[in-house]
Amino acid sequence: MLLEIAAYFCVLSIFSVGGLPSVMPEMQRYVVEVKAWMSPAEFMQAFAVGQAAPGPNMLIVSLVGWHLAGLAGALVALFAMCGPAAVLAWWASGLWDRFKDTPWRQAIQRAIAPIVVGMILSGGVVIATPDATPDWRLWLIAGATAAGAVLTKVNPLWFLAAGGLLGGALL
Amino acid sequence: MSDVTPPRNLSELFIGFLAIGARSFGGVMPWAYRVMVEERRWLSAEDFTETIGLCQFLPGPNVGNASIVLGKRWFGLAGSLVAFLGLFALPFVWVLTLFAFYADFAAGNPALRAVVTGVGAAGAGMFIGTAIKLGRPIAGNPAALAIIAACFLCIAVGRLSLVIVLPVALGLSLLLARRGWL
Repeated sequence: MLLEIAAYFCVLSIFSVGGLPSVMPEMQRYVVEVKAWMSPAEFMQAFAVGQAAPGPNMLIVSLVGWHLAGLAGALVALFAMCGPAAVLAWWASGLWDRFKDTPWRQAIQRAIAPIVVGMILSGGVVIATPDATPDWRLWLIAGATAAGAVLTKVNPLWFLAAGGLLGGALL
Repeated sequence: MSDVTPPRNLSELFIGFLAIGARSFGGVMPWAYRVMVEERRWLSAEDFTETIGLCQFLPGPNVGNASIVLGKRWFGLAGSLVAFLGLFALPFVWVLTLFAFYADFAAGNPALRAVVTGVGAAGAGMFIGTAIKLGRPIAGNPAALAIIAACFLCIAVGRLSLVIVLPVALGLSLLLARRGWL
């Protein structure tokens, strides 16, 4: 089990351009649909705890690891998720500075931007739709939060708190 | 900003990143900025933005990558490891503790589950908000909109694996960028 966790999150690590939001749909697909390691509801709640707790939201992977194999699973998942990306960051940071004004660095930046937007948008929609049939209440909370995040500069914690209150009232 | 002074030793680096991790309610990035640029003056605002720019483009958690890149710049490999561990140490403990408590209480408590599900939906909304903010500067470009829509259809609607979608999208997107369409 630990090996399986390590292998999967190592692969996911390399694909996590744009951070956690980009790989959320893929993680949900694999953890819930392919492997059935967690139910859709469990996965969403692990995500919620990961969002509400302080720290990098990437820590949700350690909650998946914890759910499957306790503390060892949590540590393995976290290091697998961050390790390959960290090695890449270590190696790329020198290169990136050296090629600062070259056309291909700018081409890569322009090419990646719309993909990251598409991936993050998918992440939001997939999480707000944990079951096959969409729940308008979840979409209402997600839509209101998205609007608030775009239109105001309020600390995101307030939106999470408001989402919790609305969830308690509506669900 | 001439009064910028990088951390003098590894323990200063560790404490600094520990402080970022400990306080990062509601997102790490704003706290990373506050601690490293405003409080400790380890680097200038421009330098911070430049570093985060690189880290957003790389896979992995943005601030996690920043800890690797900055740690390397100041102290080499040891710096990267120390900064990374400092950043993740406290949040790791807290998120597991919170989750363990939650699992204990939630079983017989549907009201609590509803609240946490609401928090999850709000978190999903934050993602959508981030996508809108990142997408605004490129929304006037039809090629960029087509790629955004195609990625969304493949990932969110078609539920295809990212392992297939990302390389194909990246290839197509690079081609468009080389032709000057992006």
